[in-house]
Amino acid sequence: MLLSLAFRNLWRNGRRTLLTLSAMVVSLALLILALSIFSGMLRDILASATEQYHGHLVISRDDYQETHDLYTTMTEAHLPLAKIAASNPVQGLSPRLRGYGLVSHADSSYPAELLGIRPDAESGVTSLQRQLIAGTALAADDDHGAVLGASLARRLGVKPGDELVFVTQAADGSIGNDLLTVRGIFKTGDSGHDNGLLLVPLGWLQQTLALPGQVHEVALAITDPMTASASANQLRPLLPDGIHIVDWGTLLPEMREAIASFDVSRLIFSVILYFATGLGVLNTLFMSVMERTREFGILMAIGMRPRSIRLLVLLESALLGLLGASLGVMGGIALCAVMSDTGIDLSAWITPISYAGGTLPPRLRAVLELRNLLDPTLMLLFTTLLAGFFPARRAARLQPVAAIRMD
Amino acid sequence: MRHSAIFSFLLVLLLLPTWATAADLRGLIRKVEQQYMGLSSKAVMTMSVRAEHWERSLTMESWSLGRDHFLVRILAPAKEAGVATLKAERNVWNYLPKVDRVIKVPPSMMGGAWMGSHITNDDLVKANHIDEDYTFELIEEAPDLYRIACLPKPEAAVVWGKVVYEIVRPQEVPGRVTYFDEKMAPVREIVFDEVTRIDGRTLPLRMTVQPLDKPGEKTIIHYDSIDFDININTAFFSLRNLKS
Amino acid sequence: MTLSLAWRNLWRNRRRTLITLTAMSFSLMLVQGFHNLSYGVYAQMIDSGVRAGSGHIALYRGDYATSRDDRLTFAPGQLPGQIAALPGVTNVLQRLYLPALAQSSRESRGILLTGIDPAAEAMVNPLLAKLDLSTLLPTTDGRDALMGSRLLRELKLEIGQKFVVTAQGADGELASELLFVRGTVHSGIRSVDNSLVMVGRQRAALLAGRPETVHEIAVLLSAPDDSGDQLQRVRALLPAGEIQALPWDTAMPNLANAIKLDYASQKFIFLVIVIIVSIGVINTLLMAVMERLPEFGLLLALGASPWRLRAMVLCEALLLGLVAMFIGSLLGSLLTWYLAAIGIDLRRFLPESIEFGGVIFDPVLRATWDVRYMLQMAALMPLLAGLASFYPANRAARVAPAVAMRNN
Repeated sequence: MLLSLAFRNLWRNGRRTLLTLSAMVVSLALLILALSIFSGMLRDILASATEQYHGHLVISRDDYQETHDLYTTMTEAHLPLAKIAASNPVQGLSPRLRGYGLVSHADSSYPAELLGIRPDAESGVTSLQRQLIAGTALAADDDHGAVLGASLARRLGVKPGDELVFVTQAADGSIGNDLLTVRGIFKTGDSGHDNGLLLVPLGWLQQTLALPGQVHEVALAITDPMTASASANQLRPLLPDGIHIVDWGTLLPEMREAIASFDVSRLIFSVILYFATGLGVLNTLFMSVMERTREFGILMAIGMRPRSIRLLVLLESALLGLLGASLGVMGGIALCAVMSDTGIDLSAWITPISYAGGTLPPRLRAVLELRNLLDPTLMLLFTTLLAGFFPARRAARLQPVAAIRMD
Repeated sequence: MRHSAIFSFLLVLLLLPTWATAADLRGLIRKVEQQYMGLSSKAVMTMSVRAEHWERSLTMESWSLGRDHFLVRILAPAKEAGVATLKAERNVWNYLPKVDRVIKVPPSMMGGAWMGSHITNDDLVKANHIDEDYTFELIEEAPDLYRIACLPKPEAAVVWGKVVYEIVRPQEVPGRVTYFDEKMAPVREIVFDEVTRIDGRTLPLRMTVQPLDKPGEKTIIHYDSIDFDININTAFFSLRNLKS
Repeated sequence: MTLSLAWRNLWRNRRRTLITLTAMSFSLMLVQGFHNLSYGVYAQMIDSGVRAGSGHIALYRGDYATSRDDRLTFAPGQLPGQIAALPGVTNVLQRLYLPALAQSSRESRGILLTGIDPAAEAMVNPLLAKLDLSTLLPTTDGRDALMGSRLLRELKLEIGQKFVVTAQGADGELASELLFVRGTVHSGIRSVDNSLVMVGRQRAALLAGRPETVHEIAVLLSAPDDSGDQLQRVRALLPAGEIQALPWDTAMPNLANAIKLDYASQKFIFLVIVIIVSIGVINTLLMAVMERLPEFGLLLALGASPWRLRAMVLCEALLLGLVAMFIGSLLGSLLTWYLAAIGIDLRRFLPESIEFGGVIFDPVLRATWDVRYMLQMAALMPLLAGLASFYPANRAARVAPAVAMRNN
């Protein structure tokens, strides 16, 4: 009974309710958007390091990740790759072989790192081949193509179609050497990759290094990179002895710290935002309850119990809160939908930025996470109830006559 | 000093005249060096390398002229036949027959192993300037050997703290050369043996390079044949000849 | 008269006014405080960046800034002296950067040999802050060198030991020099620590076969050259030819862009805050008007003009804005003072140093006073309040007296 009274009360003064509601809805929607922008930035930072080159998780033998020792290989056929690929969090899987040697064109020679990949598998894990500034990516059936970094290409003086010579010491001690044809040139903004990395076909590199059937590591992409270490734990039992799996946080401690510091500034800004929003909502609601003191006085005069008044006010606040929250959430989702993907593209003013071992694309975009919806909504509901509580209590304690005489 | 060892091995180590006094050592070494100037050679050799993960043997032919010109080509195994290295002045080039290309070795790769052995590109380049870079001291004289300590001069661009030469008497050929780091810990050792008389000279036919921190590894170079004072000039040491 | 009436009207509903004021003032305080914090952090990053990197103004030959082609050296000639004599110039640093090979008795590594003027750099380069360069690198042509911490380990060297550096000279020939490790540099940036060797400038030039030349002249100013005047003055000194002068944000685009991106996200967030606060203000004013409709109706009936009513509502809004402006600015100044003096120490969260835009991030965040911004934001308060009052003022003015009085 009280509930329906509460509901009718809300709409009795429609204008006031709408005002309050609109304040709540807009504030909540914008808050959700702002938090999602933060999430977007965080995602970008994380993606920049892991999705460009390292992957979210890496499987390798012994201490390969520290030494990059040529001989610390795994036999691809002996790894349970199908089972791993089928496991829940895994979205992409790419076996790789790594070699270091000299890359040469005409009179220029430079030391470089060659990463042997299967293009289709690799594009499910990293984005290097999508950051091309010239030429095309490696095709699945290309057996001697290469994609290299822009600065290295410039120093060697090559463009797509040109030829490169690669020389190294193969695993059997012989002089491994072969030709590559440049297919594409990438630019990441990371000087290490742009100056010294080539992507080549896995089969070609296995042959040149005299390591048939061998790989150095398997890079994995998972659905939620923030849960990488949990996923690593989940996959570990599948691996044979001596083969380890590490998450990006272990591989890139710098990145982990960068994210921690970013979280701190995110926290600071979130507090500011919650504060502004909370105060705004509190203000609006408080006022709208306070100015009904006279009304409450009348109700008490006609026999309504103080406790019921309190409950009534609380119910009204709760209803308002719920309504505001649902509309606000819908608004927030809509805004985020508009701002996801490219969002605000700043590339006209800003070029990619290196940050703690990764590179950031110049943009602001929104990534909607459950946390960004749940936290502010709960805060809003809490604030709403709070805003209803004090006036409710006050109203209940009034002497009816005094209340009626109030304005 | 080790470069001198290689080249003295590759070219010839002439009979060292009897030492007069320690002060004459420097003069003697320089004279020995100067005997290599203008000297040329052609040789065929076998290089065996044992490394942690593999073992292999190469047969090579080489030509040299003085200290600054050197060309070596692999004859066997077939997979690498035709791979060649040219050193002219202080630069090094490699020819790769499989892809038919010549590559210049940049400074950053000079620390790298030559043909997979325990000899580096840098060794090849920094040949024979021992008398400029070191001072010499006779530390032991016995009936069957001389031991000479070579200490780098204060400004010499060498990484060693000391190089000790053991010279076998009476043939006066090198027996062992030991390289020490700055803290006088031995880092590598080259042993010479199979001393034979060939083409009018006495020299050790086999040289073993041993990195002392990796006891299982070594590089052995063995001379199968060697000719001296051949008819050859600097024009021979060209990129064109590198290929064929 | 309207003013004092407006003032009294504001305080008729004290609670409401107070809550609104609190929201506005606090938001202003936070916006001012945290902008100043970012400003301080950016200034710190730029300062570190210019001192270790290209200076506020950098001189290069040709396109050295982008190509890093080590053949692009130039003879500084009279330039350093002339530039140092310009007003506002605090330091002129000359540098040479040479890709080379470093060898110890056990290992070899590729490095970037950096030739500096130790006396000049000691005072300003943050990488060298903890070192006593007058003993470690006393001259510009000595054989003493500083080595990055990781490089020292990889070469298996200790301080005091020798090593050999080999580079390709101007004539294309390889040249080697003997150097001694006198000290170590730890920047926290991996790519620097595993490839940096610093020596006196003349020694590096000798090795490169290009004596008396440099790759870069970095000019440090006492204050950032926002107007570009300093740049013009330096440009005026340059001889016609290939030598160019670049401002730091062109020479170090990574740093400039990192700051721009961060600032862009900050502007967006502040925009959101302003919107949220404005909504609150509009609501407040509207409610204040709505509940006084009978009163307005009465006033109109008594002959007051609608404009009078509008003016009063506007005044109330402006007063609200002004009070919020003062309180908010006061609080904002207090916050800024705290953040400037004490700052926020991130060291608890970050044991290692972090790189952002190629520069090491100081883990203690400190604010710098950006008074212009603070004033702008402060002025926004009454402005927003005034704008927010339009709709409520309209409602007040258009009320039909009879209807209003009959209303609750």
